[in-house]
Amino acid sequence: MRDAPSVLHLDLDAFFASVEQLADPALRGRPVVVGGLGNRGVVAAASYEARRFGIHSAMPMARARRACPDAVFVSPRFDAYSDASKQVMAVLRDVTPLVEPISLDEAFLDVAGAARSLGTGPEIGEVLRKRIHAETGLTASVGAATTKLLAKLASDLAKPDGMLVVEPGTELDFLHPLPVTRLWGVGPATRKRLDRFGVVSVGDLAKLPEATLVRELGASAGAHLHALAWNRDDRGVEPDRVTKSIGHEETFARDRTDLAGLERDALRMADAVASRLRGASKTARTVQIKIRYGDFRTITRSRTLATPTDLAIEIGETARDLLRALDLGEGIRLLGVSVQQLEEGVGVQGRLAFDDGSLATTFEASDDRRALEDAVDTVRERFGTDAVGTAAFLDRGRLLPGRRASLWGPDDPDSSDHDADRTSHDKEAR
Amino acid sequence: MKFRCERDTLAEAIGTAQRAVSARSGALPVLSGIQVTASDDHIELVGCDLDLTIRVQVPAQVDTDGQAVVPAKLFDGLTTRLKAGTVTFEVEGDDARISSGSAKAGVRLLPADEFPRVGEPSGSAVTVDAAPFAEALRQVIPGASRDDARPILTGVLLTATADGVRLVATDSYRLAVRDLAGVGMLSEGQRVLVGARGLNEVQRVFSSGKIDVTFGEREVRFASETRTVTARLIEGEFPNYEQLIPSGYPNRLTVSRATLEEAVRLMQIVGEGREGTPVRLAMSADGLELSANAQERADATEAIDAKFEGTDVTVAFNPQFLLDGLLSVEGDEVVLETLDPLKPATLKGTDHPEFLYLLMPVRIS
Repeated sequence: MRDAPSVLHLDLDAFFASVEQLADPALRGRPVVVGGLGNRGVVAAASYEARRFGIHSAMPMARARRACPDAVFVSPRFDAYSDASKQVMAVLRDVTPLVEPISLDEAFLDVAGAARSLGTGPEIGEVLRKRIHAETGLTASVGAATTKLLAKLASDLAKPDGMLVVEPGTELDFLHPLPVTRLWGVGPATRKRLDRFGVVSVGDLAKLPEATLVRELGASAGAHLHALAWNRDDRGVEPDRVTKSIGHEETFARDRTDLAGLERDALRMADAVASRLRGASKTARTVQIKIRYGDFRTITRSRTLATPTDLAIEIGETARDLLRALDLGEGIRLLGVSVQQLEEGVGVQGRLAFDDGSLATTFEASDDRRALEDAVDTVRERFGTDAVGTAAFLDRGRLLPGRRASLWGPDDPDSSDHDADRTSHDKEAR
Repeated sequence: MKFRCERDTLAEAIGTAQRAVSARSGALPVLSGIQVTASDDHIELVGCDLDLTIRVQVPAQVDTDGQAVVPAKLFDGLTTRLKAGTVTFEVEGDDARISSGSAKAGVRLLPADEFPRVGEPSGSAVTVDAAPFAEALRQVIPGASRDDARPILTGVLLTATADGVRLVATDSYRLAVRDLAGVGMLSEGQRVLVGARGLNEVQRVFSSGKIDVTFGEREVRFASETRTVTARLIEGEFPNYEQLIPSGYPNRLTVSRATLEEAVRLMQIVGEGREGTPVRLAMSADGLELSANAQERADATEAIDAKFEGTDVTVAFNPQFLLDGLLSVEGDEVVLETLDPLKPATLKGTDHPEFLYLLMPVRIS
């Protein structure tokens, strides 16, 4: 255990909405809601003005509109967020190389080593908040503590535009009164189980014997939660963690059961994933698909390949096979394709290209396929993602490119065009 | 039911029948057993996993006819560890009592009436020599896929040729093609797809003598006087493989098979535990240099004498795929033909045009 609050968690306040407000002065001081604007859109971020109306992220956009009809609703602009995020991360790395980005708008820092030259954790936290505001106009909240768990909880409580320090020796006094749902890994299902034991606060959880938790939640989840409840969190801040998966997923405007169309979508997503794999000079061993049913039940299925690959055909066929083996039930609202077990510098086993109706049909052999995929990458780099694609991905005469729109739901609320029925999102998990 | 049988005879029969016993968990429980039928002067042992059935008949002194299903692993383990000599097998209630000398064992039986009756092909049998057929199977089977996700590729295609039969297997990374002249087991134009796992048993069980081959609508049966292997046919269209075989190659390497095999095995060690580490074959007029490099772990090179005609080229392969090919081809000398680092290469035995092994290279970045 550290003897000083040298783990910092920095979280930008209402990040997407703030970027929009900075970009357009007319939005400042007004409720701004960023997200998918279609009927099934979801709120990605809400400005603090909008939050006063009860709007929060992950809320259905339709509800947000009812809650505050006068708010400004905008669809996400990832390039702008990515640029702003890069600026912020650069400020953090100025202080210490021990920066672990969690997403575009949050990161952990380990400032134990920087303490001698730059001051204590809390001092560094204040410096960072000031610099970020001065250099980007954004406000950030910081939690400073002895563990990642507490730093993250503290930054949540410090919001907006604040800092909270959990002094060494007071950790459990801080942690135990908090509602148990604040802990990572306590979702609705776990909460239901814990309810039966009358667990409301983290302190209640801490009093439960570990054996009980293990019995209720399973060995790993039970032990993990017990440890967290006692602030036993020895995870270090891990800078440049390697990318563990590359994926692409899409939310549909209506629940879908059309297997043929979904297979085509899976192939197209595989194409996008393969393209990004090659862009990163990596290969993958495992292909995973994710589906979310209409009732939000979400399942994943994966298969490990005999040899590593970066070819769309291999990823696509595997994703398609996985999809075919699933019961689509009443329909699915989300489909995702991702690859894991990424490696660098290993060879890619070629595939013989049979004339068997597989994706390879149009190509003589997989080395040609690879040459073609390389060419596709080049064209996309120069002319944009939807400049070129596979004919199998053609939909109503228009190319459905791999990367577009957002995770938070279709964009155009009035569109009846099938093309606009989908929203997509690229993912890179670490 | 009661019989007596020589331990070695019984153990060997169990070992053979057991190879068809399902290893799959979640299969019908009775399929983890061997069905034993005693009648006249023999017993018949049957192992079955619905795709594959193996029957073995051995002589026994049968006191009481009957049928029972014995858990295969126990039956095998107990029998092989009993004293050599005569084994007595007797069913008492729900148990089998198995004894030899002063050693006695009891095994709870599986419900005999649940053991499936697997269809047998009807129709006339064709008699062929077992040895050349087994040899041809041995050559192509490693090329078949073991991935049940693509059932068609887990089979071996048997197709009629002008003077015999052609056997083809591929896992989409490599392709093995073997022509077997003078074995007319198929009628003109006939194509059948048989699971490689079943054919692997055929190859093990029938290594000499004659076998009767009967193709039915859904199964194929290979039978000698005392042994039968029945495999279900795989439905579906085998990939069009002919278009994959290049008509000519600019580069031709001739090398001792044993020397190349040893060198590839050395390279394979370097990549062990690191999937995707290829062996590189640099071919030039000077000969062949093999190398493998598993970054930050190990590396190796070896130069071997070889005759090379063509333009200098380096091609990388999955070492296991290359080894499978080297172990399949016949003759002391092999010919490796290549187009370029990314096109399929072929491996053949010198003077053995009947077998061809095509394999896709590994692309190295």
